[in-house]
Amino acid sequence: MTGTAFFLTASAIVVPWLAAILVATYDRQARPIGFAASLVSALASALVLHATPAAQSLNESLMLLFSCLAAGATLVLPRRDCTAGNIGGILFVLGSTLLAYSTGNLLVFLCAWILSTLPFFLARWLRPGTWRPGAALLVSSTALAASLALMAADAHAISISSLQGRSPGGKAAFALLVVAVIFRKGICPAHAWVADAVEGGSSVPTALLLNGHFGALLVAKLIVPLFPDTARTVFPVLSYLAIVTTLYIAIRALNENSPRRMLAFLALSQSACILAGLESRTVEGIAGALVHWFVVTASTMGLFGVLRLLEVRFGGNLTANRHHGLAEHAPRLAVFFAVFGFALVGLPGTLSFCSQDLLIHGTLVSHPLTGLLLPIATAMNAVSFFRLFTRLFLGRRRTGFTVMADALPRERWILTAAVLFVVVGGLFPNAIVARRTAEAHTVEQALRTPLRGPVAR
Amino acid sequence: MTLAQALLAFIVLAPGVVFAVLALLWQAGWSPSERILNRITGLTFSACAFAFVILLWKLPSGAKSVVVAFGNWFAVGDYHFPLVLLADRLSLPFLGMTVMLSGLIGQFSATYLHRERGFLRFFLLLHLFAFGSLLAFAAGSFDLLAGGWELVGITSVLLIAFFHARPAPVENALRVLAIYRASDMGLLVGIFALHHWAGTASFDHGLPALADAHAVIVCLLFLLAAAGKAAQVPFSGWLPRAMEGPTPSSAIFYGAISIHAGAYLLLRMQPILAQSPTASGLVILLGVLTAVHGTITGRASADAKTSLAYASLTQLGVVFVEIGFGWTNLAVAHILGHAFVRTLQFLRAPSMLHDFHQMHSAAGGAFARTGQHWEALFPERAQLWLYRWAFDRGHLDTILERSVIDPLMGLSNLFAALDRIGADKPVRQRANLPLPLENKPVVGASQ
Repeated sequence: MTGTAFFLTASAIVVPWLAAILVATYDRQARPIGFAASLVSALASALVLHATPAAQSLNESLMLLFSCLAAGATLVLPRRDCTAGNIGGILFVLGSTLLAYSTGNLLVFLCAWILSTLPFFLARWLRPGTWRPGAALLVSSTALAASLALMAADAHAISISSLQGRSPGGKAAFALLVVAVIFRKGICPAHAWVADAVEGGSSVPTALLLNGHFGALLVAKLIVPLFPDTARTVFPVLSYLAIVTTLYIAIRALNENSPRRMLAFLALSQSACILAGLESRTVEGIAGALVHWFVVTASTMGLFGVLRLLEVRFGGNLTANRHHGLAEHAPRLAVFFAVFGFALVGLPGTLSFCSQDLLIHGTLVSHPLTGLLLPIATAMNAVSFFRLFTRLFLGRRRTGFTVMADALPRERWILTAAVLFVVVGGLFPNAIVARRTAEAHTVEQALRTPLRGPVAR
Repeated sequence: MTLAQALLAFIVLAPGVVFAVLALLWQAGWSPSERILNRITGLTFSACAFAFVILLWKLPSGAKSVVVAFGNWFAVGDYHFPLVLLADRLSLPFLGMTVMLSGLIGQFSATYLHRERGFLRFFLLLHLFAFGSLLAFAAGSFDLLAGGWELVGITSVLLIAFFHARPAPVENALRVLAIYRASDMGLLVGIFALHHWAGTASFDHGLPALADAHAVIVCLLFLLAAAGKAAQVPFSGWLPRAMEGPTPSSAIFYGAISIHAGAYLLLRMQPILAQSPTASGLVILLGVLTAVHGTITGRASADAKTSLAYASLTQLGVVFVEIGFGWTNLAVAHILGHAFVRTLQFLRAPSMLHDFHQMHSAAGGAFARTGQHWEALFPERAQLWLYRWAFDRGHLDTILERSVIDPLMGLSNLFAALDRIGADKPVRQRANLPLPLENKPVVGASQ
């Protein structure tokens, strides 16, 4: 990394942290401070991405995406949620996530992993009211710490580049990494915490935490490059788990009535596809997974954002038990919700149509029978999403209040930007897909790399 | 790009561009008046119709098709998604039919939906539907066809839920979406199978060659998709539910274009279908079953639109039989004739009583006796059984609910119970809320 790139990356990470401290001490103007800090991160990440060759730009692309998401989250948060705790938590998660994306050092990666979960343990910030999220995050962090300790003890090195292809720590370290992925990503049977976290906590920051996709990052950053040989033989197991999770959660969502939990399930089911694609060991599948990463992230943030705006306007007791008829009051929010939802489940004209096409193709090539579950799960998710949409927005016009605001200009523009990303990206996908393809080739090459031999002792 | 190619691209893209522009302007705060919207719609489809006539006129003599290749939409490794439009002897009639009927429905709806709250929404969806249909009919590859196919499906569902203040249309839209998505899996997996075995899903230079066993599998997968879209048995239950939408949308979707998309898919893959007697036989069997089901059930339908829907189903069953036997030209002619006649019938359905009274008085009150149907030849017990069977629409919905939906919901309940193990009390309480009857998402749908 050159000096300029290092400076820009450090700025992208440190500025949100400093802003989080500023917000904590001076809790007025939390939104402008949060937005400005996220914007600085986004600009710095964009400059770093611009200077990086396409094949090695996965981390930089993710940095840009995540900082844009954080900027969007600070804008879309309703006024009552713009507390120092929420904005500070978002900024802290942003800095930690960017650190995890950018680092090439195991110890720093572990620190970033733990730091990104910290706001969810502090009552002042984003702690949910239930025990399962904390426990899952704790287990995943412990498993990762143990695995990295094994690797460091075995290889006497903590740099990812020096450990590439050497399977440091052997199968025990690999198994612990897989445990970390399962718990952090919410893979079956460790999935229940995700819905609890979304329902019990502040939904938009929690969605931001989930959209860091640390589990997938662990696969792309550590498991594939460090354990190519073990990955080749054991990967199908994780892949099957991911595909089963996709279907299991899709079935589970069919009778869910809490909108927050339902969205959590849909996000979980669709993001489990990312793991399935990464492990498909085909360029199509991996490229599809990387593109899908972008789509799921943008769509789910949009969905959670719109849902929170609805909760604030119409009361927090929204349920999919009955029709609320909110489209009459908030038609633009209804359209945003519909576009994000259909983008999540692969509507043509959105970016997810391309990503799902590639994902399904890649997964069916590597796992012809289990891969069939992916389109089935996506079909069920589409039904669940449409059910939620109809229950929230359609039905008899709700009475009991006189005037309710549709999307405010601030919300409208930021949601439009996200919609344009998924729609224009879907109409002209080549720019995004080509870059992800270059990265996919790198991941696929890493999986093909022969074992370098035992770790030097 | 030649003039013919430019015209083909214009015909397909124009409704899509109009949809996008209108949607963006609405999102920015502009709501066009009914008159402006009507003029824009009229202008769009008139231009498309004019372009279509010129396309036919300028079609090079002896040329079998016009192909417009925009390159690959995206490409990864060996896999690519070709963006190719194709107008040949099969797609041209369908393109013409779509353009003409969409324009006609646009003009009809301007009066029919005057001062309706969802006026703009209807016209936006009409443009999107026209774009999806034209894309599906002009696609040069099954990949692109699937894109148009999905757009047709989603607009269809959104228009069924058009009168969303009543719960029935909304629940029926959900049911239709579920059946569409389930059957569309056949198309997705079939396209994957084509890529896998033939290396391409394009047909702009003819269909790819397949081994016999592979041809059977691809045909069966595509047949699943076609049967879902064309409401063939056992998917027929969604068609009467779809009648909840406004009459113009029922006319264009279920009398004319959307309902025939499944038949178009089978016609497009006719050479592969002909390679597989098993699949052809199945197409014929489905067609016969649907035709019989449609004609019997339609006789017990109490409302005009449902009767027309079942009449469509009967004709479509016959079209499937023609396709199964390989009578392609007959099937295309049948589809075109049926689409236009059925659209007229659907559009006249709201004035049916008025028309009847007019005819009745014109005939001097002396209509011929009705009710002398062939079913009167059956024994009385068989007639009663048939009536019960027809009244419950062949029990197809009940069979689908008991065999698919109920087990799935049972599984979902089981997973929910597993999730609640160890959950905090508030979560358990929330999750244990009593579920009212209307909560059964798909099962509870009724017309």
